[in-house]
Amino acid sequence: MKNFDLIDRYFDSSLTPKEQLLFNDLLQNDLDFKNEFVFRKDLKKVIAVNQQEVLKSTLGQFEEKIQQSSKFMILPKKWFVAASIILVASLGAYSIKSIYYPSNQAVFETFYQPCRNTIQPTVRGDNPNTIEYRAFVAYEAHNYHKAINLFNSVKNADEAYINFYKGLSYLELDKIKEAIEILLPIAKANGLEGKSANFNDKAAWYLALAYLKNNDKEKSKSELSLITQKPKGTYKKEEAQELLGHLK
Amino acid sequence: MYHKFVPVIGYGNIRSGSELILKIFLLTLPIMNNQDPKKTIELLKQGDKKTLEKIYMENREGFINFSKKYNIEEYDAVDIYQDSILVLRENAINGKIDDLQSNLSTYLFAIGKYKIFHNFRVQSKFDFESDFDLVEENLDFDVNLYESNLTKEQRFLKKYYHELGDRCKSVLDLFYYQGYNLDEIKDILNYSNKKVLKSQKSRCIKQLKNLLNKHYEKF
Repeated sequence: MKNFDLIDRYFDSSLTPKEQLLFNDLLQNDLDFKNEFVFRKDLKKVIAVNQQEVLKSTLGQFEEKIQQSSKFMILPKKWFVAASIILVASLGAYSIKSIYYPSNQAVFETFYQPCRNTIQPTVRGDNPNTIEYRAFVAYEAHNYHKAINLFNSVKNADEAYINFYKGLSYLELDKIKEAIEILLPIAKANGLEGKSANFNDKAAWYLALAYLKNNDKEKSKSELSLITQKPKGTYKKEEAQELLGHLK
Repeated sequence: MYHKFVPVIGYGNIRSGSELILKIFLLTLPIMNNQDPKKTIELLKQGDKKTLEKIYMENREGFINFSKKYNIEEYDAVDIYQDSILVLRENAINGKIDDLQSNLSTYLFAIGKYKIFHNFRVQSKFDFESDFDLVEENLDFDVNLYESNLTKEQRFLKKYYHELGDRCKSVLDLFYYQGYNLDEIKDILNYSNKKVLKSQKSRCIKQLKNLLNKHYEKF
């Protein structure tokens, strides 16, 4: 029994050369010793596997946290610091650049923000696991190829709000022509109801941005001026005014 | 070499014309925020959840953005990222990064890049080479310790290990996984003396063997 200590000393690498010789000898000639060694070696491995699994599931929890709350909310403080520095710095950079005629692309970058999913809260718990739900999960995860495929397979694929997010997914993927094709009819549609209400204002704003990204300044301007003529409180009306100022 | 690790700190998606100036500027941030790496590595060994979460959160986005350059889907990128953290901890526990010269994020990224390169057969080894030196020197990739790799005996052992009490599991984990010696465990778990701890450890092993004996003749 005393000799079994050697096994543990072997694991924490504290055998003296003399003990190492004894250890080797016992391992070859003493069956009990050998069995005990195999057992403890197995135990060591099993504990390691177990610890890996525990860690993996902890990491899974972190990941879930990220998926659950909006990404913005869980960022560590220093990211807010970083974000505000980026903001200040890019505003600074922007004003310097704007002296030298900013490219349409640069203006687009300044005004474009991905539209948040306001339709399907993708929160764990009440998980309906419908195609639509999965489409919005993919959209939120910036997995736009997948989102487009799923939006195409939903039952009500013709609804404006579905098309809207599909259009935005194309915009994110830099497939601007497709985005415009989809967003244009929504922006021009009348009397959208239910879940699709309000989406023509949103579509109009993103359509203007899509034109801009496509270097079609004139169309972008005419779309923006339509937005500025809408009643106060219209989606992105003020930004439209501002952007129009930059484009003139 | 540092300029390569901009994504480490998660600013890889800046879309501004003055990207370069910004990036250089932002590189100073993590330096400001750096805590003692030795302390972090020690906490990592102990499996401190806060430390793990901090490491996980700080590097995740940067890594996913980096993976996008190689057309790796976010889902796969997260998988590789998590495996890299497993390798990181394993190497911390085995004392391989006790004398790490670069920062931990850099090292974690190097592991991830190595995995991308090997798993996805990315063509341009060029991007990776300088990191591989760092990795190969200090890295044990034999940490594929998933259940599927266990023998039948080991799977039984794992099953009955779960039936042990928490006290036993703590002692055995600290000794056989985290590599602490009995003197250190005595302090960590507040045992009055080493002898008590030693007989506790023997009892735990005996208990495990008894559980196994009931179901498995070999032991």
